[in-house]
Amino acid sequence: MNCCLCDQALRFVPSWRGIFLYEAPELLCQPCRNEFSKTTQQGCKFCGKEGEAICHDCHYWEEHGYRELIHSGKSLYRYNDAMKDWFHQYKFLKDVLLARVFAKDIREALVNERAMVVPIPLNNEKLRERSFSQVDELLLAAGIPYCHLLEKCGETLGEKTRQERMATKQLFHLNGEAVPKQLVLVDDLYTTGTTMRQAAKTLQEAGAESIRILTLIRA
Amino acid sequence: MQAIEAFLTGRIWIRQFIPFPQELVQQAINQGNAIVLNGISADGQCARCLEKSPDYVIPYACASCEAVCRYCRTCIKMGRISSCTELVVWRTPSTVNAGLRTFGWTGDLTPLQESASKAISKSIRERKDHLLYAVCGAGKTEILFSPIHEALQKGLRICVAAPRTDVILELSPRFKQAFPDTTIHTLYGDSPEQSGYGEIILATTHQLYRFHEAFDLLFVDEADAFPYSLDPSLERAVKKASKPSAPIIYISATPPKTLQKRITGQSTIFRRYHGAPLPVPVYRAMWNYERQIRKGNLPLPLKRWIEDKLQKQQPFLLFFPSIQLIDQVCPLLHKVDSRIESVHSKDPQRKEKVMQLREGMLAGLATSTILERGITIPHLQVAVIGSDHRVFDRAALIQIAGRVGRSAKDPTGEVVFFHNGITRQMDAARQEILFYNKEGRV
Ligand SMILES: [Zn+2]
Ligand SMILES: [Zn+2]
Ligand SMILES: [Zn+2]
Ligand SMILES: [Zn+2]
Repeated sequence: MNCCLCDQALRFVPSWRGIFLYEAPELLCQPCRNEFSKTTQQGCKFCGKEGEAICHDCHYWEEHGYRELIHSGKSLYRYNDAMKDWFHQYKFLKDVLLARVFAKDIREALVNERAMVVPIPLNNEKLRERSFSQVDELLLAAGIPYCHLLEKCGETLGEKTRQERMATKQLFHLNGEAVPKQLVLVDDLYTTGTTMRQAAKTLQEAGAESIRILTLIRA
Repeated sequence: MQAIEAFLTGRIWIRQFIPFPQELVQQAINQGNAIVLNGISADGQCARCLEKSPDYVIPYACASCEAVCRYCRTCIKMGRISSCTELVVWRTPSTVNAGLRTFGWTGDLTPLQESASKAISKSIRERKDHLLYAVCGAGKTEILFSPIHEALQKGLRICVAAPRTDVILELSPRFKQAFPDTTIHTLYGDSPEQSGYGEIILATTHQLYRFHEAFDLLFVDEADAFPYSLDPSLERAVKKASKPSAPIIYISATPPKTLQKRITGQSTIFRRYHGAPLPVPVYRAMWNYERQIRKGNLPLPLKRWIEDKLQKQQPFLLFFPSIQLIDQVCPLLHKVDSRIESVHSKDPQRKEKVMQLREGMLAGLATSTILERGITIPHLQVAVIGSDHRVFDRAALIQIAGRVGRSAKDPTGEVVFFHNGITRQMDAARQEILFYNKEGRV
């Protein structure tokens, strides 16, 4: 087996953990793994952006009608060059296998989670075009059970400017499943927070009381 | 020839990305001119790059066809192919375009070049493979022009493949000048679309995946170079892109022994076209260079060498084993002279920086191994920093040394290997260069 990013041969280092506990085989060589950079987990309490206790984006949401909609949240990795390359290959070149690269991190973040894990969905047309849902695949690879509560409306944020994104009215509607009081919303990339705020608003209106968020990457 | 036929002949293309209206594609299929293939065959082989290892052909639950699909990772950068992807292949053979062609090359060949050129033409006529084993600066491209002209006039479709985009971009204007009334396509990673039927295709080796029994004659340039020798999928690509009886001409300055044994038709040129010997690498110890650079000190032997070149106003290349080291050394080099820049494989300004060095706007360039091929800069001097590092194998070191002394006006120049200990690869490279110089002496 070769590294799934640089295709160099992987050197297999057996560990006691790997022998006694089941551990998924490593997909990356050490140099490629080292290129990724974890967030320090000190920063914005809503989205995990490093720096201030409430980041610029989240401050905006708090001031503009979304106060305390999201209870808390974090993100796992920085959006550095290696992550941009990974994201591109995963989402746009559709290299589904790469969902496994961060399986361990996502598993650690969610394995003891008691609230329901709710992925951000794609709309059906996009899903057929891409052939997989990138958030679902991340959770599947991590072995984390999840439940869809939302459906995406027609609009996509991709081509919008920052202002247009933040002013978008409704992105999601409910899919008819019962909405629990506590849940964790999961997405791949947090950019301005529009997606998360919209999803949270729809779920809050349907009875959710505590909504936390987890994203793999904070841009 | 219809435009769609000109485009599709010899190609294997994802149906939805064919740059023609879908009705036209459907019509070609209905008329039996084109057929549709599954992207991945039932037994798990990619129809485009012929990959079949389960390490690279990956099953997953596909939401497009709502079944378990497999997709190919080997050729994914060219647009992903999965089991439910439709590939279109043109079936009707095209009419041969034989006839007189203008030959725009007017230079002279040395007697050695001339005899290699004739030998290649003979191999092509006999439909046999051939190996052109020629040192850097032997004038390989000119050797090919006459055999290619002869083949063109017979109506053969010709491909020249090389592993790197740089090499292809350098060949392109020379070919267009040599064959002014021939349609030449230049294909690489994100090359612009080119219309018509390409009679000569200049392509990076990866682009060959997109052809299917297309060529009557195929040249594989730099047949030793990474990634070609390490990647069996590219070997398959060469075979798949050429017609079954097509001769393949391999060109290399450092051919692997396997190639030398396998191919009976061979020409060797151990002399540069200007007749001067190849510069022989000089070893210079530079202990702990990595740690010194990491600590922010430019190692003294290197600093002196650079200052010497600056004073003589000679352009130079500094080869480093890793991008990381280049990033660390760059500010140190700037302190010596602000006209020393760095460049690496992912640098979007690569081409501009090399041009600036050639034109004298830059004094020197620090580079990773990517620049080792396809550039000719008069009066160039070269230093390899950490020539003992494993990325610098014999072939790479010979190629790097081969950048120096290429122009007839100044066939000399320095090649210095700064090292932490002499390796077998360094010695092998030096021995081989000495061997060429001995053999090449008249
Ligand atoms: Zn790697
Ligand atoms: Zn925030
Ligand atoms: Zn493939
Ligand atoms: Zn499918």
